[in-house]
Amino acid sequence: MKIEEQSTTLKLATGSTRIRRGTFELRLTSMIDMFTILLVFLLKSYSADGQIMTVANDLRLPESISEKQPTVMSVVAVTQEWIVVDGRPIARIDEISSSDILIQPLLRELQRLRSISEGIGELSSQMQGFRGNIAIQGDKEITFDLLKRIMLTCGQVGYNNMNLAVVEKE
Amino acid sequence: MNIKQSIRRKGRGHPRDTDVNLTAVMNIFLILIPFLLLTASFVRIAVLELTLPSLDRAGQQATVQNAQSTVLNILLIKETELQLNSPGLKFDKIAGRTGDYNWSELTAQLQQVKSKFPDSEDIIISPENTILYETIIVIMDQCREAGFPNISISG
Repeated sequence: MKIEEQSTTLKLATGSTRIRRGTFELRLTSMIDMFTILLVFLLKSYSADGQIMTVANDLRLPESISEKQPTVMSVVAVTQEWIVVDGRPIARIDEISSSDILIQPLLRELQRLRSISEGIGELSSQMQGFRGNIAIQGDKEITFDLLKRIMLTCGQVGYNNMNLAVVEKE
Repeated sequence: MNIKQSIRRKGRGHPRDTDVNLTAVMNIFLILIPFLLLTASFVRIAVLELTLPSLDRAGQQATVQNAQSTVLNILLIKETELQLNSPGLKFDKIAGRTGDYNWSELTAQLQQVKSKFPDSEDIIISPENTILYETIIVIMDQCREAGFPNISISG
């Protein structure tokens, strides 16, 4: 009895090659539409270079129309509270003495970085020595007074090519 | 009705209702989209270059190249106004609040300078101590758009 039922349904399924009863079709059209839009958007925003410079969470960079891509260099990040050089906290903004226009802890750290990179340059001619490039990642709320003192300090050590990091505007 | 029609048509050798086999497309989408989502970077970082005059040889060459253009354009940034100074030109102060100035006025004034000195590409920005970094970047952008890409900052 059971086998007969099965065989009849089997017959139905095999017998109708054009009309498949019991199967159903997925409506994929809208899904394909969505995927196509996603794919185009992602391909547009795809960059093969990867990200050279990363930004801390509490740092909000200003926006700019500049399209120049950053290269590998030391980074001085200036948040509202801290000055950070290559991920190492150097000085609190509140504790910087206002009498001296140079920022002494930053000056010492940059001199150390310079001597390291000069040492690397002496080791081998293929190595990249001291080029005087430095990136400044400033929070958009910092004042020009602080920025000026940081730039002056960088210039004192010999980092003359300063790159102000910004977020690319669409 | 529809099915009957299609059967009839198929029988006649004119198939109308053909299904596109989407399996391959779906496969490629399912692989490509997670890959692109993982590698996508939505915040792109760029840099604005500033070069201080230096005492080594590269710096000397730069100053020799720039010697021909001696036009000194100075843009003062204050809390409530902008003041553009250029030799031989007299400009009104540009009013505004902190971070939001009359940009069209600034562009117009910069274009006047550009029409008088077409070769001039240098501008010196001199902000007050209390001006925010964001404002300086916006003004640098305005200057670059107006055709003054060599921007110096003076304290």
